[in-house]
Amino acid sequence: MFRLLEESGFSRVRSAVVPRFRFRKGATQDAAEAYGVKAVMVTALKPKDAGPRTS
Amino acid sequence: MSGAADAQAPLEAVLKDEILRMYQEVADQPGGTFHFYHGREAAELFAYEAEWLDRAPAGAVASFAGVGNPHQRSHLQPGETVLDLGSGAGLDAIIASWQVGPTGRVIGVDLNPSMCAKAQAHVAIAGMQMECREGSMENLPLPDGSVDVVISNGVINLSFQKRRVVQELFRVLRPGGRMSITDIVSAKQLSQSIVNDPKLWAS
Repeated sequence: MFRLLEESGFSRVRSAVVPRFRFRKGATQDAAEAYGVKAVMVTALKPKDAGPRTS
Repeated sequence: MSGAADAQAPLEAVLKDEILRMYQEVADQPGGTFHFYHGREAAELFAYEAEWLDRAPAGAVASFAGVGNPHQRSHLQPGETVLDLGSGAGLDAIIASWQVGPTGRVIGVDLNPSMCAKAQAHVAIAGMQMECREGSMENLPLPDGSVDVVISNGVINLSFQKRRVVQELFRVLRPGGRMSITDIVSAKQLSQSIVNDPKLWAS
Protein backbone atom coordinates (compact mmCIF):
# COMPACT_ATOMS: atom_id res chain seq x y z
CA MET A 1 0.00 0.00 0.00
CA PHE A 2 2.75 2.42 1.05
CA ARG A 3 4.71 1.79 -2.15
CA LEU A 4 1.62 1.94 -4.35
CA LEU A 5 0.73 5.35 -2.96
CA GLU A 6 4.21 6.77 -3.52
CA GLU A 7 4.45 5.31 -7.01
CA SER A 8 1.08 6.84 -7.86
CA GLY A 9 2.29 10.32 -6.96
CA PHE A 10 1.17 10.76 -3.36
CA SER A 11 3.54 12.49 -0.95
CA ARG A 12 3.92 12.50 2.82
CA VAL A 13 2.67 8.93 3.01
CA ARG A 14 2.41 7.90 6.64
CA SER A 15 1.14 4.71 8.20
CA ALA A 16 0.51 3.31 11.66
CA VAL A 17 -0.82 -0.01 12.84
CA VAL A 18 -4.39 -0.05 14.15
CA PRO A 19 -3.55 -1.38 17.60
CA ARG A 20 -6.68 -3.29 18.53
CA PHE A 21 -7.63 -4.80 15.21
CA ARG A 22 -8.18 -8.54 15.20
CA PHE A 23 -10.50 -11.03 13.58
CA ARG A 24 -13.32 -12.39 15.71
CA LYS A 25 -12.79 -16.05 14.83
CA GLY A 26 -9.67 -17.64 16.27
CA ALA A 27 -8.86 -19.68 13.19
CA THR A 28 -9.07 -16.61 10.98
CA GLN A 29 -6.92 -14.61 13.39
CA ASP A 30 -4.31 -17.42 13.50
CA ALA A 31 -4.16 -17.52 9.70
CA ALA A 32 -3.95 -13.73 9.57
CA GLU A 33 -1.02 -13.69 11.99
CA ALA A 34 0.78 -16.35 9.96
CA TYR A 35 0.62 -14.07 6.93
CA GLY A 36 1.45 -10.90 8.82
CA VAL A 37 -2.01 -9.49 8.18
CA LYS A 38 -2.72 -6.29 10.08
CA ALA A 39 -4.90 -3.22 9.90
CA VAL A 40 -3.17 0.07 9.20
CA MET A 41 -4.11 3.71 9.19
CA VAL A 42 -2.64 5.49 6.19
CA THR A 43 -2.54 9.18 5.36
CA ALA A 44 -1.16 10.78 2.21
CA LEU A 45 -1.24 14.05 0.30
CA LYS A 46 -1.69 14.79 -3.37
CA PRO A 47 1.00 17.41 -4.07
CA LYS A 48 -0.29 20.89 -4.83
CA ASP A 49 1.61 20.96 -8.11
CA ALA A 50 0.26 17.57 -9.26
CA GLY A 51 -1.83 17.32 -12.36
CA PRO A 52 -5.20 15.63 -12.05
CA ARG A 53 -4.32 12.47 -13.96
CA THR A 54 -1.74 9.73 -13.57
CA SER A 55 -3.31 7.15 -15.84
CA MET B 1 -6.97 -8.31 -22.09
CA SER B 2 -3.92 -10.44 -21.28
CA GLY B 3 -4.07 -14.18 -20.66
CA ALA B 4 -3.50 -13.67 -16.95
CA ALA B 5 -6.22 -11.06 -16.79
CA ASP B 6 -8.54 -13.37 -18.72
CA ALA B 7 -7.90 -16.11 -16.16
CA GLN B 8 -8.50 -13.73 -13.26
CA ALA B 9 -11.74 -12.26 -14.57
CA PRO B 10 -14.05 -15.12 -13.47
CA LEU B 11 -12.51 -15.10 -9.99
CA GLU B 12 -13.01 -11.34 -9.75
CA ALA B 13 -16.65 -11.75 -10.71
CA VAL B 14 -17.17 -14.39 -8.02
CA LEU B 15 -15.35 -12.20 -5.53
CA LYS B 16 -17.50 -9.20 -6.36
CA ASP B 17 -20.63 -11.28 -5.76
CA GLU B 18 -19.28 -12.55 -2.43
CA ILE B 19 -18.37 -9.05 -1.25
CA LEU B 20 -21.85 -7.80 -2.14
CA ARG B 21 -23.42 -10.76 -0.35
CA MET B 22 -21.32 -10.53 2.81
CA TYR B 23 -21.69 -6.82 3.42
CA GLN B 24 -25.38 -6.93 2.53
CA GLU B 25 -25.69 -9.63 5.21
CA VAL B 26 -23.95 -7.40 7.76
CA ALA B 27 -26.40 -4.64 6.90
CA ASP B 28 -29.49 -6.85 6.89
CA GLN B 29 -28.60 -9.07 9.85
CA PRO B 30 -26.32 -7.05 12.12
CA GLY B 31 -26.95 -9.51 14.94
CA GLY B 32 -25.14 -12.23 13.00
CA THR B 33 -21.62 -13.53 13.62
CA PHE B 34 -18.91 -12.83 11.08
CA HIS B 35 -15.15 -13.36 10.75
CA PHE B 36 -14.68 -9.73 11.73
CA TYR B 37 -15.98 -7.56 14.55
CA HIS B 38 -18.76 -5.25 13.48
CA GLY B 39 -21.32 -2.86 14.85
CA ARG B 40 -20.83 -0.82 17.99
CA GLU B 41 -18.42 -3.40 19.39
CA ALA B 42 -16.04 -2.79 16.47
CA ALA B 43 -16.47 0.98 16.52
CA GLU B 44 -15.65 1.11 20.22
CA LEU B 45 -12.66 -1.16 19.65
CA PHE B 46 -11.34 1.43 17.18
CA ALA B 47 -11.95 4.38 19.52
CA TYR B 48 -14.90 5.97 17.76
CA GLU B 49 -16.16 8.65 20.08
CA ALA B 50 -19.08 7.48 22.23
CA GLU B 51 -20.89 10.72 21.45
CA TRP B 52 -20.82 9.88 17.74
CA LEU B 53 -22.16 6.37 18.33
CA ASP B 54 -24.93 7.60 20.63
CA ARG B 55 -25.95 10.31 18.17
CA ALA B 56 -25.85 8.28 14.93
CA PRO B 57 -28.86 6.21 13.80
CA ALA B 58 -28.80 2.78 15.43
CA GLY B 59 -28.92 1.00 12.07
CA ALA B 60 -25.78 2.74 10.84
CA VAL B 61 -23.90 1.81 14.00
CA ALA B 62 -25.15 -1.79 14.07
CA SER B 63 -24.02 -2.40 10.48
CA PHE B 64 -20.61 -0.76 10.82
CA ALA B 65 -17.94 -3.06 9.38
CA GLY B 66 -14.67 -1.10 9.40
CA VAL B 67 -11.16 -2.11 10.40
CA GLY B 68 -10.08 1.10 12.10
CA ASN B 69 -10.94 4.76 12.54
CA PRO B 70 -10.10 6.98 9.55
CA HIS B 71 -11.47 10.03 11.38
CA GLN B 72 -8.56 10.07 13.81
CA ARG B 73 -6.32 11.63 11.17
CA SER B 74 -8.71 13.04 8.57
CA HIS B 75 -8.81 16.54 10.12
CA LEU B 76 -11.97 17.38 8.18
CA GLN B 77 -12.85 21.06 8.01
CA PRO B 78 -16.17 22.83 7.47
CA GLY B 79 -16.91 23.27 3.79
CA GLU B 80 -14.75 20.42 2.52
CA THR B 81 -15.89 17.85 -0.03
CA VAL B 82 -15.29 14.29 1.18
CA LEU B 83 -15.36 11.02 -0.68
CA ASP B 84 -16.22 8.02 1.50
CA LEU B 85 -14.95 5.11 -0.57
CA GLY B 86 -17.10 2.06 0.13
CA SER B 87 -19.61 3.91 2.25
CA GLY B 88 -21.54 0.82 3.39
CA ALA B 89 -24.33 1.56 5.86
CA GLY B 90 -23.14 5.14 6.23
CA LEU B 91 -21.63 5.57 9.71
CA ASP B 92 -18.37 7.10 8.47
CA ALA B 93 -20.28 9.33 6.04
CA ILE B 94 -22.49 10.57 8.88
CA ILE B 95 -19.48 11.41 11.04
CA ALA B 96 -17.84 13.14 8.08
CA SER B 97 -21.00 15.12 7.37
CA TRP B 98 -21.04 16.42 10.94
CA GLN B 99 -17.46 17.59 10.54
CA VAL B 100 -17.78 19.32 7.15
CA GLY B 101 -21.14 20.83 8.11
CA PRO B 102 -23.83 22.28 5.88
CA THR B 103 -21.34 24.06 3.63
CA GLY B 104 -19.46 20.83 2.99
CA ARG B 105 -20.37 17.81 0.96
CA VAL B 106 -20.05 14.05 1.51
CA ILE B 107 -20.13 11.72 -1.47
CA GLY B 108 -20.29 8.00 -0.90
CA VAL B 109 -19.38 5.40 -3.48
CA ASP B 110 -20.48 1.81 -3.04
CA LEU B 111 -20.65 -1.20 -5.30
CA ASN B 112 -24.07 -2.11 -3.95
CA PRO B 113 -27.00 0.19 -4.85
CA SER B 114 -29.08 -1.06 -1.94
CA MET B 115 -26.25 -0.13 0.45
CA CYS B 116 -26.22 3.33 -1.10
CA ALA B 117 -29.93 3.63 -0.40
CA LYS B 118 -29.43 2.42 3.17
CA ALA B 119 -26.58 4.84 3.79
CA GLN B 120 -28.55 7.77 2.43
CA ALA B 121 -31.51 6.82 4.62
CA HIS B 122 -29.28 6.69 7.70
CA VAL B 123 -27.68 10.03 6.84
CA ALA B 124 -31.13 11.56 6.41
CA ILE B 125 -32.23 10.23 9.81
CA ALA B 126 -29.15 11.93 11.23
CA GLY B 127 -30.43 15.17 9.70
CA MET B 128 -27.55 15.47 7.27
CA GLN B 129 -27.06 15.07 3.55
CA MET B 130 -24.98 12.66 1.53
CA GLU B 131 -24.92 11.78 -2.12
CA CYS B 132 -24.17 8.10 -2.71
CA ARG B 133 -23.13 6.88 -6.13
CA GLU B 134 -23.17 3.27 -7.19
CA GLY B 135 -19.82 2.42 -8.67
CA SER B 136 -16.59 0.52 -8.39
CA MET B 137 -13.44 1.77 -6.72
CA GLU B 138 -11.49 0.88 -9.86
CA ASN B 139 -13.60 3.32 -11.93
CA LEU B 140 -14.81 6.01 -9.60
CA PRO B 141 -17.90 7.87 -10.82
CA LEU B 142 -16.36 11.25 -10.02
CA PRO B 143 -14.65 13.97 -12.06
CA ASP B 144 -10.93 14.72 -11.85
CA GLY B 145 -9.87 16.88 -8.91
CA SER B 146 -13.34 17.01 -7.43
CA VAL B 147 -12.77 16.11 -3.76
CA ASP B 148 -10.71 17.57 -0.93
CA VAL B 149 -10.42 14.44 1.20
CA VAL B 150 -10.83 10.70 0.72
CA ILE B 151 -11.75 8.53 3.66
CA SER B 152 -12.15 4.77 3.48
CA ASN B 153 -12.40 1.94 5.97
CA GLY B 154 -11.44 -1.62 5.09
CA VAL B 155 -12.30 -1.41 1.41
CA ILE B 156 -9.21 -1.19 -0.84
CA ASN B 157 -7.95 -4.59 0.31
CA LEU B 158 -11.00 -6.15 -1.34
CA SER B 159 -9.85 -5.13 -4.82
CA PHE B 160 -7.76 -7.27 -7.15
CA GLN B 161 -6.57 -4.03 -8.79
CA LYS B 162 -5.17 -2.02 -5.91
CA ARG B 163 -2.83 0.04 -8.09
CA ARG B 164 -5.77 1.06 -10.23
CA VAL B 165 -7.74 2.04 -7.11
CA VAL B 166 -4.91 4.20 -5.79
CA GLN B 167 -4.58 5.89 -9.19
CA GLU B 168 -8.30 6.63 -9.13
CA LEU B 169 -8.02 8.19 -5.68
CA PHE B 170 -5.18 10.36 -6.95
CA ARG B 171 -7.25 11.37 -9.97
CA VAL B 172 -10.36 12.46 -8.05
CA LEU B 173 -8.45 14.38 -5.36
CA ARG B 174 -7.76 18.03 -6.03
CA PRO B 175 -4.11 19.08 -5.96
CA GLY B 176 -3.29 19.58 -2.28
CA GLY B 177 -6.03 17.13 -1.29
CA ARG B 178 -5.45 14.32 1.17
CA MET B 179 -6.55 10.86 2.13
CA SER B 180 -7.06 9.19 5.48
CA ILE B 181 -7.85 5.52 5.25
CA THR B 182 -7.75 2.40 7.34
CA ASP B 183 -7.28 -0.92 5.64
CA ILE B 184 -5.87 -4.43 5.83
CA VAL B 185 -2.40 -5.22 4.57
CA SER B 186 -0.41 -8.44 4.47
CA ALA B 187 3.33 -8.77 5.01
CA LYS B 188 3.45 -11.98 2.99
CA GLN B 189 1.95 -13.00 -0.32
CA LEU B 190 -1.34 -14.76 0.44
CA SER B 191 -1.52 -18.39 -0.64
CA GLN B 192 -3.42 -19.21 -3.80
CA SER B 193 -5.93 -21.16 -1.69
CA ILE B 194 -6.84 -17.94 0.13
CA VAL B 195 -6.85 -15.84 -3.04
CA ASN B 196 -9.11 -18.40 -4.69
CA ASP B 197 -11.54 -18.48 -1.77
CA PRO B 198 -13.96 -15.57 -2.14
CA LYS B 199 -15.27 -15.98 1.42
CA LEU B 200 -11.79 -15.59 2.92
CA TRP B 201 -10.87 -12.75 0.55
CA ALA B 202 -14.07 -10.87 1.28
CA SER B 203 -13.59 -11.20 5.04
